[in-house]
Order: sequence, then structure tokens, then C-alpha cells
Amino acid sequence: MTALLEVDGLAKAYRGVHAVADVSFGVAAGAITGLIGPNGSGKSTTIDCISGFQRPDRGRVTLDGADITGLPPQRIARAGLVRTFQTVRVYDQFDLVANLLVAIEPFRTVGWHDALLRTGRYRAARAAAEARARELLDLVGLTRLAAAPASILSYGQKKLLALAAVLMSKPRLVVLDEPVAGVNPTRINEVAGILRKANEAGVSFLIIEHNVEFITGLCDRVVVFDQGRKLTEGPPAEVHGDPRVLDAYLGIDEHGDHVAEAS
Amino acid sequence: MQLTATYLLQLTVNGLMLGLLYALIAVGLALIFGVLEIINFAHGEFLMLGAFAMAFALPAFGLLYGPALAVSVAATAIAGLVLYELFLAKLGQGEFERSILITMGISMILLYGMQYLFTATPRMVDTSFGFAGVTIGAIRVTWSRIIGGAVAVAAFALLYAVLILTQFGRAMRAIAQNRDAALMVGIRPRTVARNAVMLATALCGLAGAVLAPIQLVQPAMGQAMIFKAFALVIIGGLGNMAGAFAAALALGMIESWIGGFFDIIWQEAAVFTLMIAVVLVKPDGLFQRGGMRVG
Amino acid sequence: MRQLPLAAAALALAALPPAFGSNYLTGVALSGVVFTVAAAALNLVYGYAGLLSFAQLGFWGIGGYCSALTVTRLGGSFWAGLLVAALVNAAVALAIGLPILRTRRHAFVIITLSFALLCALVARDWVSLTRGPLGIPGLPAPRLFGFGFTTATRFYYLVLAYAVLALGFLYALGGSRIGDTLRAIKQNEPLAQSQGVSPLPYKLAAFALSAVVTGVAGAIYVFYLKVVDPLFLDFYYMQTFLIVVIIGGAGSFWGVVLAGMVMVALPEALRFSNDLRMVIYGAILVVAMLALPRGAAGWFADRRLAALRAALE
Repeated sequence: MTALLEVDGLAKAYRGVHAVADVSFGVAAGAITGLIGPNGSGKSTTIDCISGFQRPDRGRVTLDGADITGLPPQRIARAGLVRTFQTVRVYDQFDLVANLLVAIEPFRTVGWHDALLRTGRYRAARAAAEARARELLDLVGLTRLAAAPASILSYGQKKLLALAAVLMSKPRLVVLDEPVAGVNPTRINEVAGILRKANEAGVSFLIIEHNVEFITGLCDRVVVFDQGRKLTEGPPAEVHGDPRVLDAYLGIDEHGDHVAEAS
Repeated sequence: MQLTATYLLQLTVNGLMLGLLYALIAVGLALIFGVLEIINFAHGEFLMLGAFAMAFALPAFGLLYGPALAVSVAATAIAGLVLYELFLAKLGQGEFERSILITMGISMILLYGMQYLFTATPRMVDTSFGFAGVTIGAIRVTWSRIIGGAVAVAAFALLYAVLILTQFGRAMRAIAQNRDAALMVGIRPRTVARNAVMLATALCGLAGAVLAPIQLVQPAMGQAMIFKAFALVIIGGLGNMAGAFAAALALGMIESWIGGFFDIIWQEAAVFTLMIAVVLVKPDGLFQRGGMRVG
Repeated sequence: MRQLPLAAAALALAALPPAFGSNYLTGVALSGVVFTVAAAALNLVYGYAGLLSFAQLGFWGIGGYCSALTVTRLGGSFWAGLLVAALVNAAVALAIGLPILRTRRHAFVIITLSFALLCALVARDWVSLTRGPLGIPGLPAPRLFGFGFTTATRFYYLVLAYAVLALGFLYALGGSRIGDTLRAIKQNEPLAQSQGVSPLPYKLAAFALSAVVTGVAGAIYVFYLKVVDPLFLDFYYMQTFLIVVIIGGAGSFWGVVLAGMVMVALPEALRFSNDLRMVIYGAILVVAMLALPRGAAGWFADRRLAALRAALE
């Protein structure tokens, strides 16, 4: 399998404290890859650097061979790498369909004057985008609330909406920051099902998550971080048998003074 | 030659005095920003309140400077307490725009309310010193200016001591430097914020009281200074007290020197052009926020 | 038809002068319309894009001086003056907007404020150009094909025509995908970026367009006043625009238009003293920000939301 995303020698420090020191890993095309590690191990900083929300001090990030290091988030998103956020982000004042319509992807061919004058080209793109938005709301099971403002959604429903919003951009790689944290346990399988469906349709995933069961059931491969470095990587079963991984999780209190994760 | 040196010295002395006044206002603004992350748009009106308090207190104390000054500072500190408890305490984190609009409303109420009550007519304020002063060589400085300058210097010495030595000063610096860490070690943000606002408005009231016998007292007097103070706070690095202090002193000198040799427009525009230049080169101001190490 | 309320509002306003039959009241309504346009332009930057810009006051003043100087110094027509005002404002807004939109939002507010104050200083102190505090008096009534806008009623219709044009444009913009994208950026900029939206071009466009709309409003208004002087850059104007936006509800087109007409015309008609009016404005601002942070339109939206929540329970 070819690597879709490659991270090479990534480093980022805040005020002299290394949040991430020299990590390298890859995400294979078509795969679902997990990224685990104790709090403060540099996972969030890493995906912030990958998705353009932080500028790495050193290292290189490539998406499908193209260098995306240090590009602004919107350029990276348009290149096909789209992320969600740890504290769920939605547009509270927009209804669910409008939440999904913010994505640039369906409107790529539409210019400013098209949007202002509502030309035929704009109306066609808009109709297609709305149809796609309803499909995705159906996929995540929020069709019933399509016309309601996002502010009335529960936390778990917002995570589902954010997931639909990500897929709206027709991404090649989706980076999920704790997709099931705070989600009702009965719904976790539902999320896994949605991700599998999207994966079958050709979307690759990189997932940060603490829920071991979720990661083990879903991922082809797991990368483990500790103290800003890559500890190990491999298939989930192998990684969970690794005593160093266990140590890293149990030893969390001894080095709990890492930089707070930016999200 | 002799004349030029004297003239320059006179300009420098005036500039120092002006810079200290700017500093009293700007340091308070920086303090409030550092602790509450808001800009107090009504800050200039506290200067005006301090000046009016001085104007009313002086005759009541038989023109004695000291007691009148104390009353003005106490009055503006209490006004600051009211400002905090009634309005600022109700603001959540990240409500910067809302804080500006609320304090702008308060500024309007105070400014135009005073204008409605006392008219816009400037009033002279008399002290027991009258117009007496000292003459050193060719330079003449009135006692109101000398004492005003001395009071400002003393206020900064006191502020420095409070920030370094007292528990509440350390708590304020801690919050200004790293809010999250400070909250984690159990500093009570409400108390600290209230103290910071009172301290800042008291400093501003002090500036107004000092200014009262030197300038004419009128409701709009705060407006003229506050916009410059905003610019100073940006130049000094938002929330950085030492930076604001340095920027204020420098501005006082620059304005005074420019005023001595160029058109008035350059004197007035200096601070804004300077600020825009600073922001273009260093968007976060000349002094970084974390670098506010007073001690 | 979506344009129906706009057309109805324009017709109702057009009927005002004959109904008043008084130059004074027509003048009040005229000011109300001009301020409403300026407030609607501020609503584009603050209400939609979330940028609390005090630069509006500077653009208002630049517009006023540009049109006045075009007529008095360059011998151009009033219409040429409007064009100059629009072009100069667009150029200035793009030039200053690009660097300052990159700063933190705290600094943005202060820098736009300083820009407005710098404009006021230039108006007062660049005496050879602006005649300083004396101002530029005696601005002639605009003419179009031999028709002179000489009376308050005639000028009112000129202002109304511009208002329909400007508000129609802002309405179309706000309701378009561009307006939606601006509101998305305001609500959650990182999220919009993660969806491929580049915030800067949108913000810059909003900043520049609102500068043009405000500047032309100022350019027209000085010809009604027949004079432009540094008082035209008084902070009072900015406060009035802001209060209209806050009361109407930042981000709500109709809220701001209605608030504009009511807020400006009401105290004027009740003839408060200027100081007392500003005290009342200040009190309204404080109360509104404490009790209704999202204005009247936001209050109604919240009520609807509560009803919806109750229905879903």
C-alpha cells in the first residue's frame, strides 16, 4: 500500500518545551489508522501541525506526495485533508443543512459574482450540495433535525454533525480528534459503522481516541505516542500487548507536566 | 546655544511630566487587559471623575492638596468597584467586543451626564500653591507640576511594591502572565479582577486629580487622553504593564520634542502613526506578554 | 418575492415627506435614512463578519471630504464627487485592511479606532487642504440634467434612491452564500478554515464594501448639510451607527434597518438636548449589551429557539 500521508521528523515546541519532538509515521491509502497515547503526549499538537493550525518548527508533511508543510488550514483542506476538533465545533446559529453547506468543495466552480447574482451555475451547485448534505445527514441519522439550528443538538449529535460536515468536503484523508469521547456508549457502534461505510467509499482515516475498544475494532494500524515521541506502531493487537505501551499509560502521573494540548 | 539647551531641557521636563500622566492611564489599562482581557473604554472618564473630584474637594479642604488628592483617588477606586461589580463581573471569557460596547456605553453616560449636569464649560482649579513655582536658571516650573510629578513617581513606586511584595499583586501578575496556570493553582480570579479594576481606576483618578490644577477641568478631558492610551497599550504589548509604562514615557518625550519644533498635527498624530508602524512590524507589540517580569 | 419587504419599505419611506409637509421633519427622516445606510454597512463588518471596526467613522469622513473637495477644488460635479469618494474609500480600505485584518481581534479594534482618530486629525490640522476647523462651507445643491436637488424634499428622494441601492446591495450580499460564509467565519473561524474557507478575502471584501457604502453615504450627507468640517468626524456619529446595529441585532438586516429609522428619528422628534440624548444612548447600549447581547432580532430568535426546544422534548 502506498502512503497517503507521510509525517517526517515533525517537531514543535512551545516556549522551549517540546510538545512534539521528531516524530515520523505514515497513513496508508484506504486505511483507518489510530493515534493513541496518554494525555499530553503530543497527539493534538501533531494533528494541529498536520492540518495547518500550527506551524511545525521542523519536519515535513506530505499528502499524496505533495508537500503541505506549513500551509494554511484552508489550503490543506482543499488538498483533501480535513479534520474535526476535540471540543466539537459546529455553527450553532445555522441549521444542520446550512452547517454542511459552508464547505467550499461543492462550490469550487462558483465565483463570487455567481454567488451574489445567483446565476444558473450557482443554483446548480447549490442544489447538488443540498442533495449531498441531506444524504450525509441521513448517513449520520440526523435527517429529522435537518431544519433545526445546531445549538439544540446534544453533544453526541454535534459530533455526528461534525462528521457529516467533514465528509461534505469529499476528503481523501479525515483526521478525527476523539470522535467518540463524550458520546453515549450505545451510539459508539453507530459511529464506527459510519466510519466504516465512509472508508469503504474510499476515505482514509487517522483517529485520535482513548476508547481502546473503538480503536481496536476499527483500525488497521495504531501509532502510539509518549512524551512527544513515537513509542511504537503496529496492528492493534500487537501494540496492546507491548509492555512499553502499558508503562506509558500507567506512568502518566510522573510526567503529567506536559504542555496543555491545543485544540 | 545657551537658549537651545535650556529650551531642550524645558521640553524634556515637560515631556517627562506628560509621559508620567500617560503612564498612569496606560498602565491601568494594561493591568485591566492583563487580568480581564478586556479594554475599558470608560477609562478616560475615570480621569475626568478624578479631576472633578479634585475640583470639588479642594475648596472643601481649604485648597489643601494632599487631602483633596486622597479623596479623589478614593472616589475613583470606589467608582471602579461599582464598575466591576455592576458590569465587568457579568462578562464571560472571550467577550472582548461586548466589553468594549458596555464600557463605551458607560463612557457615554459619564461624559454626557457630566456635561448635562455641569455644562461643557472648562473650569479653573485653584490650590493653596496658586501659581507659585521654582525658577532654576531660565526654566520655571510651578509647584502644581512639581508635586504632580512627584505624586506620579510615588504612585509608580507604590504600584511596583504592591505588584512585587503583596499577595494580591503577585496574584495579578500570575493571571496576567498565564491565566490557565494561575487558575489551576487556586488563585481566585474574581477577587483579583476586582482589585485590578479598582487599582487601575484609582491610578487613572490620580492622573485626573494631578492634572486638575495644571489643566482646565471639563467633562471631555478624558477622551483626549484615552485614545492615546489605547495606542500605548498596543505599542507596549497588550496586557504588558512595563511595556505600557515605557511606551508612555517615551511618548511624553517624543510629543514634547515634536511639539517644540514641528506642526501640532505631528505631535498629535505621533502616537497613532507609531502604533500602526509597530503593529505592521510586530503585530503583538514591542514587548511580549509573557515577558512582563517586573521582578 | 423575497424583495417584497424591501420594496414596501421603500414605498412607505417615499410617502413620508408629503405626509410630513414640513422641511424639519423631512430633514429628520433624511438623516435617519442616511444613518441607517451607514449602520447597515457597519452591520456587514460587525454583524456578519464579527469585526468591531471603528474605521467606519474614518470612511464616513473621507467620503464627506472627498466629495466636497472634488466639487470645490477640482470643479467636478457632485456625481463625480461620489465616484471619487467610493474609489478613495475602496483603495484606503484595501490598503489598511490587509495588514490590520491579520492582527489579533483585540488589536484590530484599537487600530481601526486610531485610524478614525487619525482621519479626524488630518481633517483638523491639514489646513491647506481641508481649511481645518473652518471646514468647507457653501457646498452647492447637486444637479442632474438641469434638475436641482434644492429643497429638503428633493434631497430626501436623492438620499432615498441611494438607500434603496445600497440597502438592496447589502441585502443581496447578506442573503447570499458570501453572507453565509461571513457568518460562518464569525461563529467559528477555525471550523470554516477546516472546510476550505479562506477567511481573509471574505473579511477584506466585507471591510472594503462597507467602507464604500459608508463613504458614499457621508459624501451625500455633507451636501445636505452644505458644509463639511472636522465635526463630521466626531465620535458621536460612530456611536450612533453602533447603537443602531446593537439595538437592531448585529447580523440581522431588517433589525438594523428598523432600529435605524426608530433610533435616529425618535429622539430627534422628541427634541432632547444633545447631551441627554447621548446619556440615553449610552444607557440603552449598556442595558442592551447586558440584557439582550444579540439585539432585538436575537431576542426573537431566542424565543423561537425555546419554542422549538419545547416542541422537541
